[in-house]
Amino acid sequence: MRNQTVTPQAIPQIPPGRRSLLRSWQFLMLLLALILVYGYGWRVTQINLGELFTKAHLIRPLLSSLVRPDLLTRDRQVQIARSPFLTGPGAPPALPPSSEGTSLSLSQERGRIGDHLVVRGQGFRPNTEGVLWWENQIGQRLPLRRFKTDEQGRFTLEITVPQTPGLEHVVIAEVSWPVGPLKPSETLKIVTERMIETVFLALMGTTMAVIVAVPLSFLGARNLMARNPVGFTVYFITRTVFNIARSIEPLIMATVFAVWVGIGPFAGVLALGVHSIAALGKLYSEQIESIDPGPIEAVAATGATPLQVVRYAVIPQIVPQFIAFTIYRWDINVRMSTVIGFVGGGGIGFILMQYINLLQWRQAATAVWAITLVVALMDYASAVIREKVV
Amino acid sequence: MPRGESPARKKGGDPLPFLVVEHLTKVYEDGTRALEDVSFTVERGEFVVLIGLSGSGKSTLLRCINRLVEPTSGKIYIDGVDVTALGPDELRRLRRQIGMIFQQFNLVKRASVLTNVLSGRLGYVPPLWSVVNYWPREEVRRALENLERVGIADKAFTRADQLSGGQQQRVGIARALMQEPKLILADEPVSALDPATSHSVLKYIEDLNREGITILCSLHFLSLARRYGKRIIALKQGRIVFDGHPEEIDDHRFREIYGEEAVEVEIR
Repeated sequence: MRNQTVTPQAIPQIPPGRRSLLRSWQFLMLLLALILVYGYGWRVTQINLGELFTKAHLIRPLLSSLVRPDLLTRDRQVQIARSPFLTGPGAPPALPPSSEGTSLSLSQERGRIGDHLVVRGQGFRPNTEGVLWWENQIGQRLPLRRFKTDEQGRFTLEITVPQTPGLEHVVIAEVSWPVGPLKPSETLKIVTERMIETVFLALMGTTMAVIVAVPLSFLGARNLMARNPVGFTVYFITRTVFNIARSIEPLIMATVFAVWVGIGPFAGVLALGVHSIAALGKLYSEQIESIDPGPIEAVAATGATPLQVVRYAVIPQIVPQFIAFTIYRWDINVRMSTVIGFVGGGGIGFILMQYINLLQWRQAATAVWAITLVVALMDYASAVIREKVV
Repeated sequence: MPRGESPARKKGGDPLPFLVVEHLTKVYEDGTRALEDVSFTVERGEFVVLIGLSGSGKSTLLRCINRLVEPTSGKIYIDGVDVTALGPDELRRLRRQIGMIFQQFNLVKRASVLTNVLSGRLGYVPPLWSVVNYWPREEVRRALENLERVGIADKAFTRADQLSGGQQQRVGIARALMQEPKLILADEPVSALDPATSHSVLKYIEDLNREGITILCSLHFLSLARRYGKRIIALKQGRIVFDGHPEEIDDHRFREIYGEEAVEVEIR
């Protein structure tokens, strides 16, 4: 019956000609505005697609290292022989003995910087690669040459006395070759250790957030709080704090906390924790706001105590969602904690940045693979768990 | 319960009616006058159907009886106990004898059917046990029996939201049965159901009435009210406009209850 009151005449009609003219005018203005915006954007962000190709050689070491990350290593057997060289007066220093059967001799034992020397070694393992080092008086080593021994285990090299401080120097020949089975490399150990640290960093940050966010979320739930002016004020303040804290990126928080508590994982835990309190608090609050009052009424009507009402009508409605949100947040935090190390928040990001700065591409590749693997695993696990819980 | 003593008891030697509602008025905070001076009595074992338009006060009346809604003024006696004067503990003890069935079933959707049914027993079991979800074996057996009774024992471990509307309402009935109620308040129990399912649900409620449980049930459709009610109370704008046998509602009475409002709609 009521439907009949709405008649077709009630819809306002615009003459078709005028309407399309208006449309095309607006469309042109919009188009012009878009061209201006994107034109400026292109310039200000210095987009230059050509550089992707002209500068490809810069990224090649990292990319090629990705296929051979530093994962495994073998023990090395080493032969060392030493010989002193003096650029001043005095007796040659006492040296630790050379490896059994090896010896190293120089064409002269005293001289000046820039002198040419002939270095002879013998008694080494045949056909094996080695390095010739120059060690100065305070024990600093400078690589001079790489060499390979001949079939009799000998080598001969010509070198120039390098410019190094001190009067007493040692020339060292070091020949080494792999022996024994493959085992995890030092990099792999460090990366694994840091990756575990990263996952736990995310876990601790998330846990800290849950502990604080669960009680706060009740204060931020409109249906519970906004019943009187005091409650509404509390609700409003809680939500405002959530919104402000959520708008600060964890990376920025990590820089602040790194100054506060020092560089390290604890700063990362605090940064992720504070950001997650706000993010989870908002999600939890909204979940509490969306609960169905029906079951509460029904359970209260059976003569249940308030505690029983909470246990049987409120908690079942919020807990599965709370768990889902929390796992989702942990998932985000694991991803976040891999980069939080860049600003001093500990975890894998810290050593990844170190490897890149030192141009240790294979080590960096190991870290990159570890991050990819762990993040993908967390992603998958959280999806499975969330599906089960909700 | 000395506080709940009814003054009406002293009036004569006749046994007191099971449910007495005297001058009940409810005004909500926003000023809505939901009930205006409502008085009636219900004898033990009656099946009373409440009818009336949406907003006529049916739900409010039912909720005043177990004080899910606090009455503004007036008195309610159940078995001679003044419901309006009860403290929190006494009220809970009273509520566990009053089953309630809801239009939207009001089940905890994510919980199992069994847990939903068991929650009807919360007023009887030690609170601490129930908080850790521990249920004595005989309570679980009782819950399964009640599910058997409404024909869905096989769904005990299904999540409540996996059930059809009719099945969910039967879980609602089983939950009310867990309370071993003397009185069942049913707030439009079939409004969310199709006609065939409505009949099956109402038949279960009718069976309970035959066993001696007093029923107060609001219904939307007059045809259902005629079919199941032994007595009909009609509300209009918070006042009782009819109280009697279903057959007494003729065309004239029908218009009195529903009619004028409909005329107003047509004018708009």
